[in-house]
Amino acid sequence: MNYSGIVVAFKPGELQAGIQALNALPGMEVYHVDERNSRAVVVQEAASVHDEVDGMKAIKELPHVAYAAMVYHYFAEDEQIYTAFPRELEEDACSADVCVPEVLRE
Amino acid sequence: MELTRRDFLKASIAASTAATVGIPVTKEAQAAPKDVEAGWQWDKGVCRFCGTGCGIMIATKDGRVVATKGDPDAPVNRGLNCIKGYFNGKILYGKDRLTKPLLRVNAKGEFDKKGHFVPVSWERAFDEMAKQFRRAYREKGPTGVAIFGSGQYTIPEGYTSAKLMKAGFRSNNIDPNARHCMASAVAAFIQTFGIDEPAGNYDDIEYTDTVVVWGANMAEMHPILWARVSDRRLSNDNVRIVNLSTFRNRCSDIADLEIIFKPNTDLAIQNYIAREIVKRDAVNWDFVKKHCVFATGPYDIGYGMRATDKYAFPKEKDTQAKQLRVKLDKYEAIAQRRKPGEIVEQKNAKSAGKHWLITFEDFKKAVEPYTLDFVAELAKGDPDESLEDFKKKLKQLADLYIDPKRKVCSYWTMGFNQHQRGTWVNEQCYMNHLLLGKQCQPGNGAFSLTGQPSACGTAREVGTFAHRLPADMVVFNKKHRDFAEKVWKLPTGYLNPKVGSHFTKIMRDLEDGSIKWAWVQVNNPWQNTANANHWIKAAREMDNFIVVSDSYPGISAKVADLVLPTAMIFEKWGLYGNAERRTQAWREQVPPPGEAKGDLWQTMEFAKRFKLKEFWGEQPVPGLKAEGFPDGKLPDVSKQAKAMGYTGEETLFDVLFGTEENKKKYRWPDPVAKGHDNHIAKEYGWFPEKAMWHEYVTFGRGHAHDLADFDVYYRDDVRGLRWPVVKGKDGQWHETLWRFNAKYDPYVKTGDFEFYGPALKKLPSGDLDKVTDPTKKSLAGKAKIFFRPYAAPAEQPDDEYDLWLSTGRVLEHWHSGTMTRRVPELHRAVPAALIYMHPADAEKRGLKRNDLARVISRRGEVKARVETRGRNRPPKGYIFVPWFDEAVYINKVTLDTTCPISKQEDFKKCAVKVVKA
Repeated sequence: MNYSGIVVAFKPGELQAGIQALNALPGMEVYHVDERNSRAVVVQEAASVHDEVDGMKAIKELPHVAYAAMVYHYFAEDEQIYTAFPRELEEDACSADVCVPEVLRE
Repeated sequence: MELTRRDFLKASIAASTAATVGIPVTKEAQAAPKDVEAGWQWDKGVCRFCGTGCGIMIATKDGRVVATKGDPDAPVNRGLNCIKGYFNGKILYGKDRLTKPLLRVNAKGEFDKKGHFVPVSWERAFDEMAKQFRRAYREKGPTGVAIFGSGQYTIPEGYTSAKLMKAGFRSNNIDPNARHCMASAVAAFIQTFGIDEPAGNYDDIEYTDTVVVWGANMAEMHPILWARVSDRRLSNDNVRIVNLSTFRNRCSDIADLEIIFKPNTDLAIQNYIAREIVKRDAVNWDFVKKHCVFATGPYDIGYGMRATDKYAFPKEKDTQAKQLRVKLDKYEAIAQRRKPGEIVEQKNAKSAGKHWLITFEDFKKAVEPYTLDFVAELAKGDPDESLEDFKKKLKQLADLYIDPKRKVCSYWTMGFNQHQRGTWVNEQCYMNHLLLGKQCQPGNGAFSLTGQPSACGTAREVGTFAHRLPADMVVFNKKHRDFAEKVWKLPTGYLNPKVGSHFTKIMRDLEDGSIKWAWVQVNNPWQNTANANHWIKAAREMDNFIVVSDSYPGISAKVADLVLPTAMIFEKWGLYGNAERRTQAWREQVPPPGEAKGDLWQTMEFAKRFKLKEFWGEQPVPGLKAEGFPDGKLPDVSKQAKAMGYTGEETLFDVLFGTEENKKKYRWPDPVAKGHDNHIAKEYGWFPEKAMWHEYVTFGRGHAHDLADFDVYYRDDVRGLRWPVVKGKDGQWHETLWRFNAKYDPYVKTGDFEFYGPALKKLPSGDLDKVTDPTKKSLAGKAKIFFRPYAAPAEQPDDEYDLWLSTGRVLEHWHSGTMTRRVPELHRAVPAALIYMHPADAEKRGLKRNDLARVISRRGEVKARVETRGRNRPPKGYIFVPWFDEAVYINKVTLDTTCPISKQEDFKKCAVKVVKA
């Protein structure tokens, strides 16, 4: 699971409606609100980085939002370490007739 | 209720986020992060991606990055990050990181260009690399070898590579990918101000009333700066934002005025503004008379293509022919005060940069043809917009610039820089700011944004270009070479005075066999260079040896003969310099994976393979003509070197890097590390990054390029410093916020402003067409207001290739995508580059959204899917294709024209057709 901390700024007068809309998005939870500056802190919980990027886009598309920016990114529980031989080059080494990868052979 | 670990984690992230951006939280909430973050080590770092230079904090535990966050103390981003920033930790852990050297070999295990990659030891890799280097060097001399360098080098890496090439191999064939990104900005800075890099800084955003964006999609490419622009706009009703572009992009979302223009007509729009300034008597004469002169140069300068069509594909030959002669169209004829249809020989292709002083009366005469009617008809880029509406917009634009109560900042990136007249269009922006006296003051100024994290700090300031030495010095200036030879402890005449091959020319030289050995460092030239079918052929079919140092296998690694596994940003020590002259530093946070090593180590280890005596003899340099040098040769300097105490048996490593002085003075471990490792210093027992830094800074100190001591940048209370950084009488280091302005810049000696840059400050005089008085006059302390005319693009849509093509970036991917595409989820967010086109153009070709189509030019073709509703909305007649995607290898289609002055390629305009696949 990946978690990210996001700061969202709302257009004038849109703070309350914006918070409601944010909380309605999947995996989003509003934690802190800065009424004076019309901002909020949202924590997003997502199964993959892909979902996080999509979530970020969904926030930006809300009509109440002036801008949203990533602040904090936690991925410690994504424990996989990759040390494998690169796939493209591995294929290269194995196949006698391929010395230029497909993308370059058009 | 019992809190789960998940609840703790979320509360902690929320509290950290709030603290980072200054949102107040309860005491209880403040305590939350302490539990989750127990055992983590936080340290400051810099984002590895664009030229904005955002500060990030990195948390490590047990040798791995576990979290990153925006640095609340970083003045650039104040705790915020864009999506790219978010992946600084993630990119280290892609599945296909390169972890072993790979060499192409045959069945017998010998190197073979037609062989297949197998893992080899570093020893074997360097043996082959050195053997192939010697073969090329013996056959061709210093011009037969090259390095493709980078604006993503750390400062010590760039310095080390440039030093090895110039002060070791006596070759100037090192040029960075920053050539594709910044060169036009550089040429314009040098020609206008006599010194590189912007006068202002990002603080201008909070001081200005008007943000004019020219050819820059800041909302997607510099989102953190755009957040600052948005904040400024939302908090102040008087602020206005103008977005000038060839297609609608996300900057238009908050812009007050959007101007869609035809490719290259930004040249005409700026002259229209200048004409209005003059016509409305709005020239700030107090400023102009004291601080400026007027200048111009030749128009017949070609398009930076080869002068021969020997290597051109048959279909390319008509475009190629424009390098030699151009038939003026109706608009060019008016803009250049000539006759339509006139054939103009491009006589100044090799002397495009020359220029001379003119009078204000001549300047006025030159801008006179740029009337509203003329420019609107020429420049209107959206066929669906009425001419009257477009005229109104141009007039509004001029009003905003000219309004005496209004501060104005102009920002640009690749729209200006990747331009067949890139230097001119940069200079025109200064023209208008200087005419109005709106330059070098808080909130007033023309500001060139950068695309890469150290295009300024490394490529430009260190001078990893084919013509440069550190701190704006150049190889063709004897005084500069003398200075460098003194610092580098080399005999007089060792350094090569002939400018080397620029980035695109290195590719051309590989194609025609004049370069036979090339090393790629920290970039992906086979993906990032236009007209790539030529360069693939050059790499795979010519007799040469290509080495690619990289962390991931991009296209360049695939066409290489040897691939070297390379450490990434937080796996090594480094410093970067951003677009506002801010130099920032970080420590090694985690070890590189497998056998991967930093570029600095690779360059220094390679230097150990060569002895000084291999290079100090006479060397051929075809075409070399310089005072004090025999024609076509570098002299034998062995006697002078022996007189200095060298025997010739020293390795280049001993002479250039691992000197006894460096080993003694910069020992490792060093307290500045605060417990952090350094995989290179640990092996050497001395601290090469620090040693190279302290040698490098001697070039700039006292020359308005001053930098502080190494340790200063690592202090906890420092988040980068903007040069010149000068030590005051109080013993403190002081940065410079606005250069050339006496209130801020210690180098201003007289008056309120002084353009003290030393380059190109003695000029002859003439009229609009030629020099009439060759006597050179000094214009010390003054900036130049250039007249530059409109020139038509070398290739324009016609009956067969009926659409304009521009390439560029999208937010989720950065440059060639070698790094960002390794994060598979990010990759899926934009699964493949799209063809952004107008729905009517798609329909005309029987295409609808998501259909597969072919984009075909005279040079090559690619397939990609059509997007008609995306965030980039081209007008009819125009398509946009991002270039990050290896599978949509759009640089096979693009045209390798360059600005003839800066040699920077134009990726923003060529002619294509689109058909259903």
